[in-house]
This record gives sequence, C-alpha cells and structure tokens, in this order.
Amino acid sequence: MGNKQTIFTDEQLDAYQDCTFFTRKEILRLHGRYHELAPHLVPMDYTNDPDCKVPLSLIVNMPELSENPFRNRIVESFSEDGAGNLSFNEFVDMFSVLSETAPRELKAIYAFKIYDYNVDNYLCKEDLEKVLNKLTKEELTPEEVELVCEKTIEEADLDGDNKLSYGDFENMISRAPDFLSTFHIRI
Amino acid sequence: MSINKNTILCYRSYCLNVSQSFRRCGSNLRSEIGGKFGTSVQSYFVFLKWLLMFNVFSFLVNFGFITIPQLVYDFSPNVPNTTSFRGLEILTGAGYFNYTVMYYGSYSNETLEGAVDYKMQLGYFFTIAVYMVLCGIALIFSMASSFKANYVLADTTSGGAWQLLCSWDFSMTNERAVRQRKNNLRESLSEKAQRKQLTSSEKLRHFGIYLGAWLLSSSLTVGCGASIFFLCRYEQLTLLVPFMVSLMNMVVPLFFSLFNKFEHYSSQRRQIYVLVARNVLLRMCILGVLCYYWMNVVATEYSCWESVVGQALYRLVFVDFIFLLLGSFFGEFLSNVVGTRLLPRLGIPEFDVARNVLEIIYAQTLAWIGIYFSPLLPAIQILKFFILFYIKKVSLMQNCQPPRRTGRAAQMKTIFTALLFFPFFLGALAIVGYTAWSLTPSKHCGPFRGLDSTFSVVEVWMVQLNSTGGSEVVIFVYQNVIRSEIFYFLITIIILVIVYIFWQVSQGRKQLIVLLRQQIVNEGKDKSFLLEKLQNLQKSQPNIRSKNHKKVGIPSLLARFS
Repeated sequence: MGNKQTIFTDEQLDAYQDCTFFTRKEILRLHGRYHELAPHLVPMDYTNDPDCKVPLSLIVNMPELSENPFRNRIVESFSEDGAGNLSFNEFVDMFSVLSETAPRELKAIYAFKIYDYNVDNYLCKEDLEKVLNKLTKEELTPEEVELVCEKTIEEADLDGDNKLSYGDFENMISRAPDFLSTFHIRI
Repeated sequence: MSINKNTILCYRSYCLNVSQSFRRCGSNLRSEIGGKFGTSVQSYFVFLKWLLMFNVFSFLVNFGFITIPQLVYDFSPNVPNTTSFRGLEILTGAGYFNYTVMYYGSYSNETLEGAVDYKMQLGYFFTIAVYMVLCGIALIFSMASSFKANYVLADTTSGGAWQLLCSWDFSMTNERAVRQRKNNLRESLSEKAQRKQLTSSEKLRHFGIYLGAWLLSSSLTVGCGASIFFLCRYEQLTLLVPFMVSLMNMVVPLFFSLFNKFEHYSSQRRQIYVLVARNVLLRMCILGVLCYYWMNVVATEYSCWESVVGQALYRLVFVDFIFLLLGSFFGEFLSNVVGTRLLPRLGIPEFDVARNVLEIIYAQTLAWIGIYFSPLLPAIQILKFFILFYIKKVSLMQNCQPPRRTGRAAQMKTIFTALLFFPFFLGALAIVGYTAWSLTPSKHCGPFRGLDSTFSVVEVWMVQLNSTGGSEVVIFVYQNVIRSEIFYFLITIIILVIVYIFWQVSQGRKQLIVLLRQQIVNEGKDKSFLLEKLQNLQKSQPNIRSKNHKKVGIPSLLARFS
C-alpha cells in the first residue's frame, strides 16, 4: 500500500507480528489507541524503544475495558510491576492474548492469573469470593456467596486440597467450549 | 487526459472501499451485534447467512443446469392468449407465471439439440438429486464438526463452577448489557443456592401439570393439522391455506409459551428444549398434512399437478415472508412501544433467538421441498432471506435488549444445525424422494411426462446406453451396485460393526477417565503426606540442613512439589 510510517522500524513491526496475534496494521492502530490514552506521555516515535508506561487509571477508562468487572485485575496481570502500569509491549500483549486468534492454553493461563487476586498461584476461597462479588455487584448474601464458592471448589477441585490449582482450572476450561469466545475483547 | 486518470483513481479507491466494506461486513456483524447483544444473538445472524449460501448455490445450479438449457431451446414461454401479466401473480404465483420456467410444467422432456445434446430429463433429475445429496453432506459435516468442537459433558454448563469462572462474556462493552448480565447471574446463582427438595405431592402436581400441558399442545397441533386438511379443499380461495398456515405458525407458539410459564422445570435448558420440541412438532404436523394432501389428492386430480404443487409452495413461501415481517413488527417494534410507554412493567423485549431460528429453518424447508416442483424458487428465497437479514438487524438494534440468559452459543449452533438436519432436511428429502420414486409424473407437461415414475428416467437411460453400446462402467455400476440388494446389506453390516467398535472404545475411555481422576486424588494425598513428613524431618534435624551445601536434595524436592 505504500504507507510510510515512522513510528516503528520495520524490524520492530516484524518482531511484533511474530510475537503477537496482530498484523502490522493492527499494531499501528493499537499504537494510535495507546497514544491517545496519554498523548503527553507517549511519544509518536518508537524507533528507539522509549521506556514509558501509561498508568492503570488511564487504561481502565478505555471503552473496551470500562464496563468489565475485572478491568483492574486484567491490567495488573499483564503489567510487570504488578501495579497496572503498562508499557506499549505489555499493552499489545494484553490485547493479543484477549484477541480472537489466541490459543486456548494462553487464554487459560491469563484467565487464571486474572482470577488469582492474592497472586499465590491458587484460586482459594477468598479469590473466588472476590470474583463472585465483582460479578454480582456484591448483592448476594454472605451465606449464598459461601455456598457458591464451596460448590465451585467441590466441582472443580481434583486433587482435594480445597483450592483450585492451575491444573484444576485448566481441566474445567477444557470442558467449556464457549471459553474461547467469551474470554475475548475486541479492539 | 487528466480527467481519465482522475476517474481511474476515483474508481479504484471506490472499488477498494466497497471491497473493504464487504470484508468488514462480516466483522461488523460480530462487533456490532456480538458486542452489544452477546454471542447467541450473533449466532442467529451467522446461521441466516449460512442458509443464504445454500440458496445461492441452489439457484446457481438450478439456473445453470435446468433453466438455461430450457431458455436456449425455447426462449418464449408458450402462454395461451387468454392470460396476461397482471401484478397479482407475484402474490399467487399462478396465472402468467404458470407458463414460465418458474415451474416444473414448462420444462421439455426432449433431448435438446444444440452445440451438445442435452438430455433434459437426465439434467433435471440429476441436478436436483446431486444438489440434495450435497446439501445433506454439507449439513452432516457441519453438524459433526460443531459437535466435535462443542461437546460438553452433560452437567458442567449448569454447574456453579462454570457459571462463576467461565460464563462471563468479556467482549460486552455496553453498560446496560453488563448490568443486565450481572443481575441475571445474581438471580440465577441465588436461585441455585436456595433450591430446596420438593415433597412428593409437589412432584406429583408438577408432573400432572407437565402431562396436561403436553396433552393440550398435542391436541392443538392435531387440531391445526386437521383444520388445514379441511381447508385445503377450498382451492378457489388461493391464499386461504397459506394464510391460515402462517397464522397458526405465529399464534400457536404463543400458547405454548403460555403453557411453559405454568410448568416447573428442573433446569433452564430443559424448558427451552421442550418449547422447541413442541414448536417443531407443530410445524412438522402442518407440513406433513400439506404434503399428504399434495401427494394423495393433488397428484391424482390435476393434470399438471407438479406445477400446482409448485404454485402452492410459492404462495406458502411468499405469505410466510409477509408474516415474518409482520412478526418482526409485532414481536419487536410494538412490544418495545408497549413495554416502554404503555406497560413499563414488561420492559423492553428480548430478541427471541429460538423462535427466530425455527422460523428460518421452516422457511428453508419449504424451499427444499419446492426445488423439485419449482426450480427457480431459490431465487425468491434468496431475496426473502436477504431482506429479512437487514430488517431483523435494524429491528434488533432499535427495539430489543440483550437476552437475559447467558446463552451458550456454541451449543446452540450444534442444536440449530441438528434441528435443521434431522426433522426438516430429512423430511424434505423424504418428500422429494417419495415424489420421485412412487408418484406418476403428469402426462402432458414437465420433463418426465409419459414415464411411470421419475426414477425410471435412469432405467430408460441405462437401456439406451446398453443398446447403443455406451460406457460399460456405468452399466456395470448400475446393475451390480445400485440395483443389487446385497450391496446395501453389506454396507449396513459394515457400518453397524464400525459403530459398535467406536461405542466400545468410548465406553473404555469413560472408565479410564474415572480411574485417572481417582489417581489424581491419590497423588494429591501422597504429595501432602510427603510434604508433612519432609517438614517433620526438617524440624527434627536442623543441624544437618545448615551444613548441606549441595543444592540437589531438599530445595529441589520442595520445588518439584509446589
């Protein structure tokens, strides 16, 4: 098409194309979206890999994420510092995993990370209670919350340690064919 | 010169825009509809597009192999002087249309001379047969592939774990939709948490109501069928039967939904299945009665009966289209008006995916039955589905809210395709097959005039090939494979054996799953036992641990277990 863009070098674009599930055009479009989140912070020229991070508060206001009950956890689980400040690489990574073409295993890994609020590599009862509260706007009674979480652990826990490890979670996902289409954010 | 260059550039950019917008049409569907209403509503529109493809293929094949040779041979329709084209024909399909290539009756039965000798009889027969077979194969493959991808062990999707962890649709961006979903999830979870055991008298009462509802719906269905059969006699009121059929298809399901409200079901899914089953039975009963009337009464009483049946089907298709539009108007637009202004308690209507899918499956069945009697019916069907797609999309956007139940779209696609195939496609195939096999074609019109049955076209052709010393292979295949019973017997035995083997393999695998699950639990217990022992060991011998420089033993053991 002859688009001469000066945001990335060709090698950078190729690298992005190889590492994510996006095409060149989509990566350029993503850069546009990233830039408009914080125009004063994000440089237009990325050829020399600038080190800038957009804070969590700006990212969760994106229209794609603003209504998602897990928006904070999503952004935190893709950020290196765990606080939700994303560099452009992490930003692209996030939307790449949540895109349609990402494979099921990758999505399962990140879904597990998102639901794991206390970051201990297990979905314990407290994690599940937090997930439930986010999903139901905290309008269930505490007994109901307890009951649902207990039932969830009962159904999904295979090795009997009263919390869900990644293996248990993955097993449950493998029996849910809709997961690929529900764990998907379009950008 | 510059004007030319500009116009070329302009044209090129225009073409690019058009092609981009077509490509984006598919993704627009997903982002506009899927993002706002969820994947189950989106699956309806995807299904409609897929069915449209069937009709496009059918039209191309029929037009190319049947109509074009006929038109080349005899361009002008031999219309008698008394009839002329009045606009009414579009509605009734009779009159002027009767003598055009729209219907079976206008096709000749001769070998059309021309650049190549085209046997019209064989052309007609094989085109329809091959199209039906290809349709069947496409449906089977689609069903098998979606079943394979979406097969879920029975209980998991109704379990709390699934609802909590897998059911949230991350692609929803509409605030109202998200709020709605949260409410529904909360309601559903709190319902589950509060479920209590029913006493046996309550169970008996529920069963009685259930039985009563089934009796009522069956009697409604039978009543509709009988009244259609009775009304078929009144042929002179040409639009009466299609009107009544469409009216019944529109009104009786409302009764079924009403019965549904009084019954109690153990799960949401069963409720939908029962409702769908009743609707399917109603439509099949009505179609069955109509086909019985056509095969037994029309086929014996009229001279060019295939064209008469073709016209009846045309009218059915057309009136069904009008009723679909009316249904969209009443079901969505008026409900929206009533729900927002007059009775706010009702709220905004939802897009009823099951009912709409059933309607387009029924419409497609009419087209499939009609292909034999009216080869150009797919053209009408294409127009119908095309217009319906856009009307439904606009109506959805303006009038409806996202559906309440977290729709399991993957399973729904399997169910839609299975519904399309099993009762409806196989039924249409059976009707066309019965017509081709047993019924005598009319003597004075159509490509099969003078023969005993349509299928004897093949026999005649075989005799011809035999006498003129044609292809030996074809004759051999016909005599020893198609006509011999041993072949079908052997094939059936082989297929049964293969099915039995696969069934045994799957039984074995189920047992293996149970064993493996038990093994996982045991491993977990082993792990916790060993970890405890390790910790006890560490506590009792702290000195040795501090002197241990080799990093191989304990830390790696700990790493292995966590």
